[in-house]
Amino acid sequence: MVYMLPSEVSRSVNQQWPCRELQTKQLASLFSSGISSPSTLVVHGISATCKSTIVRAVLSTLQTPHAIVRSTECITGRHLLTKVLWATLEALGRQDEWEKFGKGRCEHVSTLAVLLADCLGSATGKGSEKFVLVLDGIDKQREAPQTLLSAVARLGEVIPCLSVILILSSTPRPLFLQAAAVPHISFPPYTRKEATTIILNSDPPHVDNLPSEISSKLYPHFVWTVYDALVGPTASTIPVFRSICEKLWPQFVSPITNGEAPPGGNNEWDFARLLVRNRALFRHQSEAALVHHIVSEDSTPSSGSVSKPSLTAASAPSPLPSLPYFPTLILTAAYLASHTPQRLDTIFFSKFSSSSLSARNKRAHHRRRLKVLSQAQAEDYAASQDPSTPSKKGKRQKTRITKTTLESAFATSSATTSAPGGGAGITGPSTILTARPFPLERLLAIYHAIDPNPPANPIRVAAVSDAIYAELATLRRLRLVVPAGSRAGLVSGASSSGNTSADAGEKWSVNVSGDWIGEMAKGIGVEVGEWLAGGLD
Amino acid sequence: MDALEPELDTTPDGLNNQGVYIYHPSKSSKAHGDRPSKRRKVERVESDQESCPFVPLLNGHEDATSVELRYRNYEHLWSAQDAKIQVSVVLSMGNWLGLIMLQKILGDVDSEVLDSVSKFVRETSPETYNGCVPAALVTVGSNVSSLSRLLTRLNDRLTTTGEGGVVVLESGDAPNLKTTLKNIIRAAITNTEGNDGYQRSLNDRDGPRLLGYDLDLLSDYVEKKGVSDLVLALRDSEAFDPSLLTDLISLLSSWLDRIPFTLLLGISTSVELFEGRLPRSTISLIKGKYFELHEASNCVDHMYEALQAGGDAKFWIGRNITGTLFERSSDFFQSPEGFVRMIKYAYMSHFFANPLSLLLADELPADLPHDKLCEAIRNLPSFRKFCEDLLDSGSPKQVHQLLEDDEFLFHESLQHLRMGQQRMRDIFQSVKAIHRCLQSPNISKKSSVSDLSVLALAGELSNSSIVEDIFSTVKALDSDNLQDFFAILPQSVTGDSKFQEVQDDLSGLLQTYQDAVPLRSEYDHRHSVVKTTVVQQRVKLSKGKAKLPKQDIEYTKIVDRVQSLLESYLAEILVKPQDLFLHEVFLFDMRNPLKETFGPRPRFAVERALSNPFDYLISTSEDTGTRISTKQPATAILYQLYLESGALVNVHDLWSAFYAVFESHGGNNCDEQMVMALFYRALSELKAFGMVKGSRRNIDHVAKSAWIGL
Repeated sequence: MVYMLPSEVSRSVNQQWPCRELQTKQLASLFSSGISSPSTLVVHGISATCKSTIVRAVLSTLQTPHAIVRSTECITGRHLLTKVLWATLEALGRQDEWEKFGKGRCEHVSTLAVLLADCLGSATGKGSEKFVLVLDGIDKQREAPQTLLSAVARLGEVIPCLSVILILSSTPRPLFLQAAAVPHISFPPYTRKEATTIILNSDPPHVDNLPSEISSKLYPHFVWTVYDALVGPTASTIPVFRSICEKLWPQFVSPITNGEAPPGGNNEWDFARLLVRNRALFRHQSEAALVHHIVSEDSTPSSGSVSKPSLTAASAPSPLPSLPYFPTLILTAAYLASHTPQRLDTIFFSKFSSSSLSARNKRAHHRRRLKVLSQAQAEDYAASQDPSTPSKKGKRQKTRITKTTLESAFATSSATTSAPGGGAGITGPSTILTARPFPLERLLAIYHAIDPNPPANPIRVAAVSDAIYAELATLRRLRLVVPAGSRAGLVSGASSSGNTSADAGEKWSVNVSGDWIGEMAKGIGVEVGEWLAGGLD
Repeated sequence: MDALEPELDTTPDGLNNQGVYIYHPSKSSKAHGDRPSKRRKVERVESDQESCPFVPLLNGHEDATSVELRYRNYEHLWSAQDAKIQVSVVLSMGNWLGLIMLQKILGDVDSEVLDSVSKFVRETSPETYNGCVPAALVTVGSNVSSLSRLLTRLNDRLTTTGEGGVVVLESGDAPNLKTTLKNIIRAAITNTEGNDGYQRSLNDRDGPRLLGYDLDLLSDYVEKKGVSDLVLALRDSEAFDPSLLTDLISLLSSWLDRIPFTLLLGISTSVELFEGRLPRSTISLIKGKYFELHEASNCVDHMYEALQAGGDAKFWIGRNITGTLFERSSDFFQSPEGFVRMIKYAYMSHFFANPLSLLLADELPADLPHDKLCEAIRNLPSFRKFCEDLLDSGSPKQVHQLLEDDEFLFHESLQHLRMGQQRMRDIFQSVKAIHRCLQSPNISKKSSVSDLSVLALAGELSNSSIVEDIFSTVKALDSDNLQDFFAILPQSVTGDSKFQEVQDDLSGLLQTYQDAVPLRSEYDHRHSVVKTTVVQQRVKLSKGKAKLPKQDIEYTKIVDRVQSLLESYLAEILVKPQDLFLHEVFLFDMRNPLKETFGPRPRFAVERALSNPFDYLISTSEDTGTRISTKQPATAILYQLYLESGALVNVHDLWSAFYAVFESHGGNNCDEQMVMALFYRALSELKAFGMVKGSRRNIDHVAKSAWIGL
């Protein structure tokens, strides 16, 4: 057998995966065939730092017998152990003998140790004195028993010819394996130089009508600029970097390919001129390029190459959910119920004076005050400046907005729902207050208050609550309105989606951001801002 | 129709009048030790099927054959209509058999989507998307059933070509990751191999038996069958638990090099919203395209048209019901299936409750006793109107005969029934024609068949703005377009002799002025001239007519004739259906049973029962005022006291008020223990209704959690 020196291994691997010389060399020296390897090795680094690929490449270059098990593919701890055993047998070419080794079943780590020792022990006689087991992403294993990590780390100690490589994507805590002096190899994120080198290793993307000498002259500058402007600050990965470069490059050089005359009477475009020309490109589009969407806007590249401003419209096929009239109104009511402090209900939703001028003024006053207060970081200051000071206290007791009211309104701990729903981020003042749970009765009452087509005779109106319940069930199924106890993400076991059996006292909460609802409500003729603390101003 | 209602109400047994039914549960298991007696399989007696669920009407005097005939009528008619629905919009039913039989009819919007989706599935692979899982996002709106239709057809295509299959997953199938994977694997394998094949692939493996959720099973299967596209369709993506979805997607993308997954996500809200729910890291694993299925309303329109405007239709649903139906399907979440159920209910209630509906039969038995039936006909409002019209037109003799002679009346009404049905068919024929006219590109305002039908059924179509629009467009047409327009008119118009005359004149005119074609009428905007005059430093614009060449003047005359012809045609055809004699038989337009049945109001009923118990119960005392009295059930008394209180109620206060009611009635000999027991019982019943709950802040208070009338 030909033994490769670590430097040789590193050289051959580096041709394909550059900028990882150090790690490759370390791995190669630890696992080269001549010497004995450490029983356990930890390889760690954040995602997209080439950990698994390098480990795999080194091991296959060294021709060390090895088995790789990806933890993401294992559903339970038991599943992982079974897979480990099976992969080992497969790597040793002994699948046919599976009945000897626990009939291919392995339910506990201790069983695994015995079985592995068995099959490796009987295998060493045949020449391979070393076996490497790679557990990829073991820190993300689902349903793993608590002792799994440290137990797996002991495997190598129990079985002499076995080395275990644990690949982690999180930074390990000290002594997390409860074993001293386990060697670690760190894969740090690529530096600026490394990242650009990797990108520049491949040729610039081909663009029609662009001479290759110009392209090779400009492309390095362009890649450096993209890194500095976009990739570096956002700590993006190499694939993202590459896709951004590929996406922006044709647009960046489009002045040349379109045959435009360079400014200033020069004959040639140089990088600086192109950059000045393309300022807007970096400002708007490239930021969008950083965010991945399922439906990407470049699905129509042929037609959309010129129309830059309509990019957002093209990427969003239907920005608004298309709900029927009645559910939309219910959703709006739910949103208002979630975002208005309950104490202010009488001001915002009272039927007795909702149309009179004074009531409107009063509402506007409160809206403004709430907004001012919510914007100010120094809430104490704002509260102390509150005009409703003791002289009017007796009269305005009911509607006074005190610090506690606001604090309870801002209680972010109780509700975090606008964050996951906020695709566009928290933008408007309407989303400052996070969603708070509300009882159903309040939803019904608010529904009546905001109904844009109120029944002609409010006394003899048929009750709509039963119709509302039916629609609410569907809204809950779509997870637009959810029971507050089991907000999105928390329901795992009991999330039978049709389950709408809610107690009368149970609270609900809206699960979408305000921007959506504002626009949808406009479609049916309700101005959300009019009802909302801090809206409309 | 109102005239029929008394008849319904006065059936001899009190069942229809009874306000309340008392539920007597059958004796539950005899004793705890006893085993339930063994059930033997007994041959069902066939006669069950024979019996007819309808009851005799006309005060119970209707004879058995008539009842039977009504029932048969209903079954016959509905099965015909049902078949029609299936044919016209097989799409909507997701019916497997229907799909196979009728696939050739589907030249519909759905097919387009199907084609593009299956093209997407075939063409995309992880490589085209840079290692991401390819995903087709299908927005379905509230029309969830259409997606399943699409999926079955997609599955059909993929399995017949052997490329793969579709695994449909619903949120109910996915309580946790293990079960989800198990379901996916089982569905994928049984799709082509059947259940036995699945069992075999589990057991007959060389190697250890795998766990049911191990995707190795699926990858073996994929390898063995050479599957190139395995579509995993999540029908209601929003209803899935987001964390589960995250897990699932990461797993799929990890297996993507061995199993060619394609995701198909049915989205009811919007893509952006769906994206916002998942973490960024998950989103970056999938990439794909977006497709849109047409809305449910379109589908519903098709169905309605098939039912109402069919050439052989016999029975129609009227304006009110149409209004209710379309209101429901546009304002609420409603599937096309729900729409069909409502129509079926309308049909059913017509035949159930209207004794005259037996006249709709194709053939009436000759010996049908019709004395009662004729009496019923004479009570119809439309009969009265018919007679009045006859009197006005000066034939009192006929009226006399109608009133006296049963035989004559019966024959007359059968005849008029056929005529009325023909009139209705004509109405819908013209509705369809108008709809076709609206499709022409010159008219900007589009209305659906259902909108037009509502107008037509109310008798308002002929002078509606829609028709006016059409006329003004027609007047502005040039001669070429006018001839095109003639082509879309129905036969009944073009067959008319006057119309033929106009057409001949037009072609004659065109012959004479061959070189001046196309001719334009004076209503054409090209013939209006804008004049500008300056008056006192202001520019005045005035429109005037340009001078017309001679041929155009003649053409204008023809256009005017066309318009007047059409106008008179529409005025003749589009009568108000309610003016037709015997419209009660072939037109069903009672909003009430439908609305009540499909929009139940349990909460309203409970509140009413508690606040006014004597609306439902029979009161023993004479005075049934709204005052609280001890005659009412204890829960109702307590509820009324509860209504008077605020959000938090002291239980002792409630008790003393409750006791006071009994004390004032019973005086001194009021048993406090007894009343207390009643009070406890009433309070716990309110609690069971969810109307009160304990308050955490004040231990001796209860919180009010339901307000009346919301």
